[in-house]
Amino acid sequence: MALNRPSSSHSIFKKRSAQSPASAADYLSALSQADARARKTSSSSSSRSTPTATPALSFSSTTTGASDDTLLEGDMDNSDRLSLPPVPPTSEQVFTTVHTEFGHCANEAHRHTSQHDPNEKIRHVERDPPYYILISTYISYLILICLGHVRDFLGKRFHPSSYKHLMPRDGYAPLNSDFDSFYTRRLKKRIDECFAQPVTGVAGRTILLLDRISPDYNHTQIPTGTRTRALNISSYNYLGFAQARGGCADAVEESIKHYGVSTCGSRLEGGSCDLHTIGEALVAKFVGAEDSLISSMGFATNSTYIPAMVGKGCLVISDELNHSSIRFGVRNSGAHVRMFKHNNMANLEALLREVISQGQPKSHRPWKKILIIVEGMYSMEGTMVDLPGLLKLKKKYKFYLFVDEAHSIGAIGPHGRGVADYFGIDPNEIDILMGTFTKSFGAAGGYIAGKKALIDRLRIKGYSGPYAESMTPPVLTQIIASMSSIMGVTGADKPSSQIQNGHASPLRIGNGSSSTINEEPEYHHPGPIPPKYLPSWLNLAPELASGLEGSLRLRRLAFNSYYLHRGLHKLGFIIYGHPSSPIVPLLLFHPAKMLMFHRMMKDREVPIVTVVVGYPATPLITGRVRFCVSAAHTKEDVDEVLRACDEVGDVMDLKHGLGRGKRWDIEEVVKRAVELVNMKQEDVDDA
Amino acid sequence: MDSASSTLEPVFTYVAHSISTVEQAFYRLPGSAIIERYVRSSHQNDPGRTLLEVILIILVIRTLMQSRTRADRNGKNFIEFSEKEIDELVDEWTPEPLTQPLTPAEEAELSAVSIVAGPNGPKPKLVNTGKTAYNLASLNFTGLAGNEHIKQKAIETLRKYGVGSCGPAGFYGTVDVHLELERDIADFLGTEEAILYSQGFSTISSVIPAFCKRGDIIVADRGVTLAIQKGIQISRSTVRWFDHNDLRSLEEVLQSVEKERKKKRAPLTRRFIVTEGIFERDGAMTDLPKLIELKTKYKYRLILDETFSFGSVGRTGRGLTELYNVPAEKVDMLIGSVAIGLCAGGGFCAGSKNVVEHQRINGPAFVFSASMPPLLAVSGSEGINVLRSSPSILASLQENIHAAHAILDRVDCITIPSHSISPIIHIYIRAPSNTLHPSTAAVSTKPSNPVSPLPRDAPQWDIEGEEKLLQEVVEEALAQGVMITKAKRLRGGMEISEARPSIRLAMTSALTKKETEKAVNVVKAALVKVLSKRR
Ligand SMILES: Cc1ncc(COP(=O)(O)O)c(C=O)c1O
Repeated sequence: MALNRPSSSHSIFKKRSAQSPASAADYLSALSQADARARKTSSSSSSRSTPTATPALSFSSTTTGASDDTLLEGDMDNSDRLSLPPVPPTSEQVFTTVHTEFGHCANEAHRHTSQHDPNEKIRHVERDPPYYILISTYISYLILICLGHVRDFLGKRFHPSSYKHLMPRDGYAPLNSDFDSFYTRRLKKRIDECFAQPVTGVAGRTILLLDRISPDYNHTQIPTGTRTRALNISSYNYLGFAQARGGCADAVEESIKHYGVSTCGSRLEGGSCDLHTIGEALVAKFVGAEDSLISSMGFATNSTYIPAMVGKGCLVISDELNHSSIRFGVRNSGAHVRMFKHNNMANLEALLREVISQGQPKSHRPWKKILIIVEGMYSMEGTMVDLPGLLKLKKKYKFYLFVDEAHSIGAIGPHGRGVADYFGIDPNEIDILMGTFTKSFGAAGGYIAGKKALIDRLRIKGYSGPYAESMTPPVLTQIIASMSSIMGVTGADKPSSQIQNGHASPLRIGNGSSSTINEEPEYHHPGPIPPKYLPSWLNLAPELASGLEGSLRLRRLAFNSYYLHRGLHKLGFIIYGHPSSPIVPLLLFHPAKMLMFHRMMKDREVPIVTVVVGYPATPLITGRVRFCVSAAHTKEDVDEVLRACDEVGDVMDLKHGLGRGKRWDIEEVVKRAVELVNMKQEDVDDA
Repeated sequence: MDSASSTLEPVFTYVAHSISTVEQAFYRLPGSAIIERYVRSSHQNDPGRTLLEVILIILVIRTLMQSRTRADRNGKNFIEFSEKEIDELVDEWTPEPLTQPLTPAEEAELSAVSIVAGPNGPKPKLVNTGKTAYNLASLNFTGLAGNEHIKQKAIETLRKYGVGSCGPAGFYGTVDVHLELERDIADFLGTEEAILYSQGFSTISSVIPAFCKRGDIIVADRGVTLAIQKGIQISRSTVRWFDHNDLRSLEEVLQSVEKERKKKRAPLTRRFIVTEGIFERDGAMTDLPKLIELKTKYKYRLILDETFSFGSVGRTGRGLTELYNVPAEKVDMLIGSVAIGLCAGGGFCAGSKNVVEHQRINGPAFVFSASMPPLLAVSGSEGINVLRSSPSILASLQENIHAAHAILDRVDCITIPSHSISPIIHIYIRAPSNTLHPSTAAVSTKPSNPVSPLPRDAPQWDIEGEEKLLQEVVEEALAQGVMITKAKRLRGGMEISEARPSIRLAMTSALTKKETEKAVNVVKAALVKVLSKRR
């Protein structure tokens, strides 16, 4: 009943499809024409003298050959909605990416810079929903729990065979007691449809779902054999480097040919290769630290290196929302742990005063050292760490600071260098910079960067050095190629030498090119890297080496983040987090709405896949959907998500944020997107 | 008086009104009638009881609130300080440095670590020397590294899937090739299902806490590798240790645990035996049939880490279960490494459907980490195909291992703790006869204390001295064109016990028997040269 699609959606789709090309064939021919035109102009006039509106995109390169196999393969009837941009390219625009992986967007207005404005408040105020929402959420859980217990009670009596694995059996205790697994069986199972959806292909702008059905209330999931292409606003593909085509993939192919896929062992026992050394130097340069080390798994970077920094007699103060890998590492270290309220500096300071004055429990001996572990950006909240606040405390209380930049490295800051870059702070003020490559760089694994003495110690004292397999060459190459494309390489081909002489260079973002920031940041990032930082065999494509594509990605991501965040806010939803965070959590509250939201988004004409998270990953009542925008999305994609949320939000009564008078309707949000993105934060509510 | 009551009147009416609204609201709540009846009846019977109940409720609320704000502040150990005193204490406090800088010796060792220039394989070029060397250090048992067919498949996968999966398995990180590799592994081993982790090392550290909780019992070998030690530590289960690779000791421990449980009349808890197939620490091998017999007899579940035996022993490399012809289903949780056994990346745990599905929700390293890059999963699947279709690889690996043993067995300044078919061969320095070296016969009279990870009369080695000698051997061998490595450890009490220093050779089928003999002879010469100097 309520699942029926709101009728208004149809009109919207009709209207949109009217302007888009009639078929894939039409689009492809338009594309190849544009391509041919571009080739002609670039060959006839040797110097590309016409600076077009979209300089960053006009590289001569063929795209159609690459795109058509990925494009037409396996798509259902919705192929021309997601696979083709609504407007075919003009003669100046030649896109080097596959639209399904990395959307074509030529509009220079749809760019933004992620940079801290000294007047902005870092901690955001969380809006509370009306009481009836809170109460009914509690009641929903109560009903679910009661029903679950009733079903267990009856089930155990009338259907003992299906409870066999929860009961002691011939002398074995059950692997999983019925109490421990209650939540999983009785609550999560009901919405299993939202989790572990198998997919295929690239987790880029769109993703191909392998459809499945469950005939027995999610006990088994049966693949139907069909596939659906959906708009992917869920993968941690912040900079859109999840690509099977393009410069990075070419570099990776080259490296597989050269290196194979394995390094055969741990770093200290014969599993090191030259790419590790190169990658580590590059990462250190990228984050602005003396030295760095690379580990083959992000989770393990925390869980195996934290114990090398702290141990018995040390204290770890950890944000209450820290990731499980951090908890894992801290628990293995044997250090004492205390928590502070999420991102709350007053609470942290009170705690610091208490622990330093009290010393170790019982003995009251002073702590050997205190390590504060925070994340740069929180994956469930989208909040940004109050780094200036922390550094102020650090001066006074002499603790060491560990920042896990898993979600912030690459994703924020005018140069994509994470929170320190965002705030214009020298990264060397942070003792330990940790991050992962899984997210922004479309690779896998993690790093730790800091002073050389620290990193060398960690190399031999962390568990991974002697024991864990080292990172594989294809993954290393993906990291090297994507990172250097953000940094740019000095003396690279034509485009970059133009930049060095030119004035409005996209490489120097923040120096005038952005409109909102007037204050010069104090810390200056190192410019492009010299070519000696790259492996000698690596021929980085010119658009990567110039840093143009990298800076384009950063600015597109910042635009999309701001747009989705503020757009949803203006529509009236309760949104958590910071507007420059690519993670945008939208509060749903009720457990039932999580499933409903997920399904309604997926069942739309343009399917959208979402991540819904609830207890225990979040507090009981604040179930939410978490969007992860990407540089690969175009404005039209974000429009699509906003429209979908608007419709679903009305059906499901989700708009409890901004007061009715201050809200905008969806058409206004879409129309005034650029204005909305460039607005000062304090003006957003009242605009 | 009168005026006072008149001014207070609106207050009274307001109070009366709010009470009645609250009352109405209360009656509207479902179940309120029951509560009301209960309160009424209990009050009628005994007004004292009402008071008692109210106090009880207040107490419950108080304790609940207290547990939220941690007891520390109210604990008897808390000392009150004034703000000024705290400021002084803060000023006085000087932390230790975050880490100690490396000592010159450590620095020398770190810079001596071999780094391969270009592709790794049986004869890689080294950055350190600029020359190629025979490789007896890297783990490439079946020579899958550099296999052209696997490379080709990896490139095809890259062109379809990109590199990273950009998400944990729960949220669009489950790619079809992961499911295929899981199926391939399960088929290959003969288990119901398998689950992939994105790093081999983290697999067992995550599998153990997924099943073993506080109050459960783990019986583990004293010689397990660090990954298992950490998994056990984080599980917070009750641990009992048995002597390294000594199944008689295991049986004694199992009996003592059972006795203890009977004595305490403790309820039945989950019980696990955790051990390795081929031990990372010394290359010893577990007697699997006997182990299965014990675990079945005492009703334990078996968590078996086959990191070094999967992809290296058995006719087609299925590991100990194939070697001993034991059905893999008998091992409840069978852990292996795709990175080591199949030269790709990641690790797996194979077992029954229940065991695997449980980990998909409870395995920390599975749930909270991005799934492995698809191209590595495909490389793993292709690796299995290669092993399946050409058992001769495993035969030539065994031949090389045999050849290495034949040479090393004749060297009398060393001892080899490793099993004769283990693809990793550890080399200990034979203790000079005048130093104290407890013979095992003297110890066996009294069993070790199962609560301690150290055996009774734990032997002491001159760790620093032996490490230094072995490092000399490594460098000497490298100078002669053979790359080997010491088994690297975390020293200084970071592991449950200090492993005896050793050189770890990793054999590979990618070298011919002749080449292997040549390389091992170089190692032998280096050992003799360095160790004969010692006396
Ligand atoms: C803060 C944080 N640290 C570490 C990780 C683990 O990274 P990986 O997925 O690369 O293992 C994550 C991943 O979700 C994370 O959010």
